[in-house]
Amino acid sequence: MTIGRRLFISSAAFALVIACGYWVVAREITGTFLLGFLAFALSFIAGYMVVAEKKADLWGDRDDASMAEAADQVIGTYSIRSPLPFWSALAITSITLGLVISPTLAVLGLLAALVLGTFFIIQSR
Amino acid sequence: MSAVASPRVAPAARTDLLSWITTTDHKRIGILYLSTSLFYFFVAGMLALVIRTQLARPGNSLVTPHAYAQLFTLHGTAMIFLFVAPFALGLANFLIPLQIGAPDMAFPRLNATSYWLFLSGGLVVFSGAASNEGAAAAGWTSYVPLSAIKVSTGLGQDLWIVGVFLVSVATILTAVNFVTTVFIYRAPGMTMWRIPIFTWEMVATSLLIFMAFPTLAADLLLLFVDRRLGGHVFDPAGGGNVVLWQHLFWFFGHPEVYVMILPYFGVISEIIPVFSGKPIFGYTGLVLAAFAIAGLSMGVWAHHMFTTGAVNNPFFSFLSFLIAVPTGVKFFNWIATMWRGSISFQTPMLFAIGFLLNFLLGGVTGVMVASPAVDYMAHDSYFVVAHFHYVLGGGSLFAIFAALFFWWPKMFGVKLDETLGKWCFWFLFVGFNVTFLPMHLMGLEGMPRRVFTYANTGRLPELNLIATCGSYVMLVGTLLFAWNVIVSTVRRRPVGDDPWGANSLEWATSSPPPEHNFDKLPPIRSERPVWDLHHPAGPRT
Repeated sequence: MTIGRRLFISSAAFALVIACGYWVVAREITGTFLLGFLAFALSFIAGYMVVAEKKADLWGDRDDASMAEAADQVIGTYSIRSPLPFWSALAITSITLGLVISPTLAVLGLLAALVLGTFFIIQSR
Repeated sequence: MSAVASPRVAPAARTDLLSWITTTDHKRIGILYLSTSLFYFFVAGMLALVIRTQLARPGNSLVTPHAYAQLFTLHGTAMIFLFVAPFALGLANFLIPLQIGAPDMAFPRLNATSYWLFLSGGLVVFSGAASNEGAAAAGWTSYVPLSAIKVSTGLGQDLWIVGVFLVSVATILTAVNFVTTVFIYRAPGMTMWRIPIFTWEMVATSLLIFMAFPTLAADLLLLFVDRRLGGHVFDPAGGGNVVLWQHLFWFFGHPEVYVMILPYFGVISEIIPVFSGKPIFGYTGLVLAAFAIAGLSMGVWAHHMFTTGAVNNPFFSFLSFLIAVPTGVKFFNWIATMWRGSISFQTPMLFAIGFLLNFLLGGVTGVMVASPAVDYMAHDSYFVVAHFHYVLGGGSLFAIFAALFFWWPKMFGVKLDETLGKWCFWFLFVGFNVTFLPMHLMGLEGMPRRVFTYANTGRLPELNLIATCGSYVMLVGTLLFAWNVIVSTVRRRPVGDDPWGANSLEWATSSPPPEHNFDKLPPIRSERPVWDLHHPAGPRT
């Protein structure tokens, strides 16, 4: 079991123990719900990691792995520059700011986000 | 899949504005984060100076009560949401891929998006100052009913909600990036038990962010619904509950304290061994203590609510006391690392020692106010203000300066001037203690926090005047740092790859590192690969 999985499983277990302990001691619904929901959310991530990492074989997990062994591995494509993050953030800011200042700004932000999303999907193919 | 840094075909490094706006390089994004958070620190610091000047004498009328409320709200918001926590994210952005031997973050574009959301969130918060009724004035905790539409009628509070919401989204996305990068993109041989303590602390911090920040985002949405869409979630007249806001806010707010301190525990754990000439004492203990602190911090939120009478005080008090145990383990390990070491008192180490002294006092007063009996007396007084400034100002701020002096050569290829650095340290250390030590006494004399003036009784006028003088000494220290940056940049005396004789992987590459981070990675057989590289015949850790 990788440390990542252990980390989330133990965190979920800890949250569950604290939630139960809090209910036993305090009988207070808000805090118990918060802790219970936390335990549920952490279990969800832990479950995902158990499934996703079932066949994971990472060079970084091997004590004796050498650089030479791992040569020529392709680990994905890195974009050095991209205008998308800047414009995406601007669109998201417009949507949220528009809810407060002007619905027109929110609609413009939404349209911009749709265009950027489409562009992103096309670019990623 | 492995974390080998396959060379990227990169055009010659550009330095124009457009290249910074479109960058997805983790190092540049880190530097953007660091410079933006330092800008917000400068603004928040200026606001603090106005606050201290107003409080220098009883009955001062430099600002109106409403303006004062806006000042402390923006000061707290900027320091917490826009400086201390994001600075750690910036540092981690720069360091994590370098420390684990990865070419970049797992999601470079998401990383850049997070930065731009953080920048815009901060600007939105501050833009409230330009609205009709001014900026938000309900404090950084934005307690209901102060932040409800019936009390805070202006646009400033709405802009605060939107701005902090954007920052919280940015922080969550960054945490996802950190955890994925550390779990998946470690170089061959860089097992989890060999990653530097700073990276471990960032994993613990990211875990805390996963658990705490979604709650903040949800709280803010609910508050927005109450204010703008006629909701009654926090409105008792409509069946809502004001204490619910406190529960939800502190469920985020207390872990946030550890989001603001755990990364700096990592910074200190990196610096002390280097300047003590020894490996870190108790690597495993430090890592486990970080996760113990992170876990326990999720169960102590209601110690901020002892005086509401709506929570189980013994439960939260007990868990709060427990946090002192792993924190004590960390302190023990740092002191044991220095014990019989060959200590070199260079600027990063001075700031690290300043951190230890200040944080110790903040920690001790933290244990005091974790006791409901003491908290009932100290709640909402200047004693609490002194406590959290010793933790976040004396602790995190000193670690931030330690980090700046330590990693500046790696970021920019030049060292900051040592003499100016030491002057900067002493001005900040003396100024900090002169400012905040008297606040304990002000609290004990009954001075409440968040008041724009106070009665001319007891020692309050003298104590306030001393604190104000101290704040100006801190200003001198900060300006000395800015002057140091200018002088060192103009002089431009290049340093080697590893000017300190450090341990972790980032010191194996050039200063500043190339776009792809490493031309060649050394073998990784311990948590000190660079030390092993430079001392092939030395003892192994």
